[in-house]
Amino acid sequence: MKKTKIRTRNICFQYHKKQILKNISVEFPKGEISAIAGPSGSGKSSFLIVLNRLWEEIDGVNVTGKVEIELNGQMQDIYSGRIDIRQLRRKVSIVFQQPNPLPMSIFKNVAFPLNLAGLKDRERISREVESALKKVHLWDEVKDRLKEDGRLLSGGQQQRLCLARTLVMRPEVLLLDEPTASLDARTAEAIEQLLIQLKSRCTIVMVTHYQDQIQRIADSHFEVVNGNLINR
Amino acid sequence: MINKTLERSVIVLSWAAASILVMSVAILLGFLFAKGLGTLSLKLLFGSTPPLAAITLRQQVFDGLFPAVAGTFLLVICSTITAIPIGIAGGIFMAEYAGIRQKAFFSLLFDILAGIPSIIIGLAGLSLTIFLHRLFPGRLGPSLMISALSLALLVLPYLIRSTQNALESVDPLIRLTAPALGASRIQNVVKVLLPNSMADIIGGIILAVGRCAEDTAVIMLTGAVAVAGVPHDPLSQYEALPFYIYYISSQYGSPDELASGYGAAILLLALCTCLLIFAFVIQKRLVTLLLYR
Repeated sequence: MKKTKIRTRNICFQYHKKQILKNISVEFPKGEISAIAGPSGSGKSSFLIVLNRLWEEIDGVNVTGKVEIELNGQMQDIYSGRIDIRQLRRKVSIVFQQPNPLPMSIFKNVAFPLNLAGLKDRERISREVESALKKVHLWDEVKDRLKEDGRLLSGGQQQRLCLARTLVMRPEVLLLDEPTASLDARTAEAIEQLLIQLKSRCTIVMVTHYQDQIQRIADSHFEVVNGNLINR
Repeated sequence: MINKTLERSVIVLSWAAASILVMSVAILLGFLFAKGLGTLSLKLLFGSTPPLAAITLRQQVFDGLFPAVAGTFLLVICSTITAIPIGIAGGIFMAEYAGIRQKAFFSLLFDILAGIPSIIIGLAGLSLTIFLHRLFPGRLGPSLMISALSLALLVLPYLIRSTQNALESVDPLIRLTAPALGASRIQNVVKVLLPNSMADIIGGIILAVGRCAEDTAVIMLTGAVAVAGVPHDPLSQYEALPFYIYYISSQYGSPDELASGYGAAILLLALCTCLLIFAFVIQKRLVTLLLYR
């Protein structure tokens, strides 16, 4: 039996006093891809931002309950005072549904998390950026224009850029909100292969609308129904 | 049908409003240039003093506008340098750190400050001058420094508001990106929000520069005089173009003197334009340096 990576207890999510998620208690196994499906507006994305406390940056959100994640080999309550929230978000990182490159160069976008972490070694940064861009199959397309604005890339390229920016942090948990929604079939397949490769190194929780994608790559399948998360 | 008529009316009114604005500016500039262009010469700036000697401060200019141009330039630079850090810090506080009640309270204060007539700010500057003069007799009086501080106070609300609005209008997804990548609040402000709001913040600075360059009420009470030469230190009195324009237009003795007032107005416009171009260049370079290199 697989070891548990993420465990939630009685998670309730309110947005401007409207109840979105109710008493969600669920476990996600380590090294697996867990897919969450459900109708639009059911709270799938809201559930993801509970797992790295990103909801705390949004006005009007209130979350109760407990989330434990195995970080650095130990199960830790991420809502306890001992957790460094910046470290948590580097270890439990998210890629949004809508590509969100920062208004800066392609290189700086991918190097941004390293820069935030205080890494100064330019050579190492360049290596990490190249490696992350290669992982998401973007390197060949952008290697000659790394100083160009990241926002000038196509939607699919932007999404892969955002994925590269997340991978450069070497996260333990990867939260993906419909990661292939803006990609063409070939790139989506390449990204799916990448996710399968990645799951040996990190646990993936992915929101998706595509049943065929769930069948292709997900190890477990959940669905949000009336604010509850049900294991299918 | 009604909707179409309404839409057409709105379009016509918008064009009319824009045309009136453009025409007003054109008429104003045309009038100014028609009256003052003939006076524009090195003589207007330097009088009988050799330009090089005047610029290198080897000789003082008594019958030209060079000291007023230099005084205005120094005044604008000193006041904006004083106001910019405080204004931007205030804007950051309002947009990123103030709670709902604090925001409401400080907003009210800044709105009141923005609405205070400049003559009142000038009186406050004068009171400060009198206070400092009593504290340090003979050393402190009406000066460039007091004028710059007073003008900084005058433009502070514009800078705070423009910074606050610029930060608050950043795309919510961009606002959330850096925290999602492990940025602290201050890292998000410094590395993402401020660079991305730079264009709007510079817009506020440009407004502030214009306000500092044109205000007469504040400077006439705090340090500007008719004849002082180029100020050698922040504690000396100075000449300024707006004060010269006001002085000449109210007390001119001949048509030539009045024409030199129009010439001074063109110089003031040119000075402001140079400062604005400088601000734009800085903005572009800064954004390129911060985000793309």
